[in-house]
Amino acid sequence: MAETKVADQLDSLVSLERGEIDRRIFSDPEIFDLEMKHIFGRAWLFLCHESQIPRRGDFFEAPMGTDNVLVVRQKDGGIKAFLNTCSHRGNAVCRAEEGNVRNFMCTYHGWTFGLDGELVGVPGSSLFYKDKLDRSKHPLRKVAQLESYRGFVFATFDETAPPLPEYLGATGRLGLDLLAERGDMEVIPGIQKFTVKTNWKFTVDNVFDYYHPQITHMSAFALGLIPAPPDNYMEGGAKSETGANLEVPFLPTDLHNVVMVGEYGHAISGPDQDALEVSTGVEPFAWRHNDETQARLGRHGSRVAGHPHIFPTTWVTAGGQLSLRVPREPGVTEIWWFSFRDKNASPEENAALLSSHIHFFGPAGLLEQEDGENWAQSTLQTKGLHSREVPQLLKMGLGTSEVVKDDGLAIIDAPINEHAQLWTYHSWREWLRNPTWEELRERTVPHDRF
Amino acid sequence: MTTETAEQARLTAVLLQHEVEQFYYHESALLDAHRYEDWVFLFTEDTHYFMPLRRTVTRRQLHLEFTKPGEMAFFDEDKNYLEIRARKFATGTSWAEDPPSRTRHLITNVRIGEKSGDELQVHSNFLLYRTRLKNDLDQWVGRREDTLRRTEAGLAIAKRHIFLDQTVLQSANLSSFF
Repeated sequence: MAETKVADQLDSLVSLERGEIDRRIFSDPEIFDLEMKHIFGRAWLFLCHESQIPRRGDFFEAPMGTDNVLVVRQKDGGIKAFLNTCSHRGNAVCRAEEGNVRNFMCTYHGWTFGLDGELVGVPGSSLFYKDKLDRSKHPLRKVAQLESYRGFVFATFDETAPPLPEYLGATGRLGLDLLAERGDMEVIPGIQKFTVKTNWKFTVDNVFDYYHPQITHMSAFALGLIPAPPDNYMEGGAKSETGANLEVPFLPTDLHNVVMVGEYGHAISGPDQDALEVSTGVEPFAWRHNDETQARLGRHGSRVAGHPHIFPTTWVTAGGQLSLRVPREPGVTEIWWFSFRDKNASPEENAALLSSHIHFFGPAGLLEQEDGENWAQSTLQTKGLHSREVPQLLKMGLGTSEVVKDDGLAIIDAPINEHAQLWTYHSWREWLRNPTWEELRERTVPHDRF
Repeated sequence: MTTETAEQARLTAVLLQHEVEQFYYHESALLDAHRYEDWVFLFTEDTHYFMPLRRTVTRRQLHLEFTKPGEMAFFDEDKNYLEIRARKFATGTSWAEDPPSRTRHLITNVRIGEKSGDELQVHSNFLLYRTRLKNDLDQWVGRREDTLRRTEAGLAIAKRHIFLDQTVLQSANLSSFF
């Protein structure tokens, strides 16, 4: 689809009213290019956590759309980020994913850059350039803005982007608070990174999907890895390939969800904490049961046990991890897992936490090993000439929910639904129109009814 | 006499090498035949099955290439978790392996190192070739550092540390054993 054509068709690609999405958005290369330009070229994107680069010269390479940036701890303790591409011939100035350096030197001609990205060394400066090269004009290209929120480092390529806290809004900030409030948080060394043949939007959509665990992760329920009360199986609905009724676990009909949708496309969706604890009979969130934390999270925030998502690709899990869904190609996405722990936790607490981080998500995770294949298969079918004409359905709970606006949040209380997914696609469409920040904000003010 | 002893030692080494290699071939055959619960039986009760994360780092910082126990990993399993993983396949709803993957475990370069008491240090290389569904293909190459222990039931794996050669994993999951 040509750019003008995509712009003309945006309204038909995503319909909030019908709860339908055009499947072509998952495989069209020109739509992907537009996403890189209008979304990843402008949004505040998560780069890393400050605890990953504690010492001067520590760096971490992070993706921003199709670019790679080096996030670097400065001599003065500050943080800068710049494109990992030499100002001379474009070679990467650093080929490690993380580490510690005094300088970044391009291995092509030896141009050397300081921790602040300034060009500090050019071999043969007088001999070859006759001292006429103005080094100050050729630093590594910096991101337009960089800010930390509670230790989470974000950057944007757009100098007109609103400040990070404003971009995050109440919903996005709450999402990060739900991780930061657990203690004095640091990233456990080692970022899991793996490749799935899927479009990035499937991986985001899935964050809010509490309809899939009962089937996709059925084996994890069977093993007791996800607690499900013994009498809470629903018969019918799903039939096995032999025609037998499948006993589907979990999802008691009264499992209450709380959804929050926010400006620019951020959303939180998942079980209400009390509902989850009552229905599963376990109490998984001890860290939040004190008055101080409850007060800081606020009366709405303290009810949330579901999945916060910072638009476009940052997910905070209920278990204390953060996942980045990195688009590489229309049909290729890298999943990155950042796993956190409280610096003050006991060795026993840390061991238990590490075990849950390793055993739930990641490519060998007893939950997530099932997910990638679903996303890959969904992506594959969007390529078929006729398959891609079948609309993608997001109709669950459509038109049945009131939105309550309070405390800067837009809150929906409802059974399991697809409101947050639909909100994400709606916001995605508004981003693709490439509006001004003011227009974008206005167009992503949550509706009164979902 | 001296010659005979040296020859005896060589023969013992060859027999041990043969025994260890046969053990690995048997183990691979169990995995490739989807006999996961029999496979778990080859591990000692106190086993540690560990696959660290690998990072692309400079040569100067090569000591930081792999994460260590206590840090993030792909696998960090005791016997109990290996049993859980094996049982997962048997639930009939472990969709990442249903339809099942076709795997081929190729074990090479088996080198027997230090022996102490009833334990042997053994290093080997592996190629795990996997196809899935109609045209999914994954290949993992790396090395394993095992501690094998002699038990009444024969050799058993008391420790397995698996070092993959990929940093950003080029596959959607690790639902196979190494």
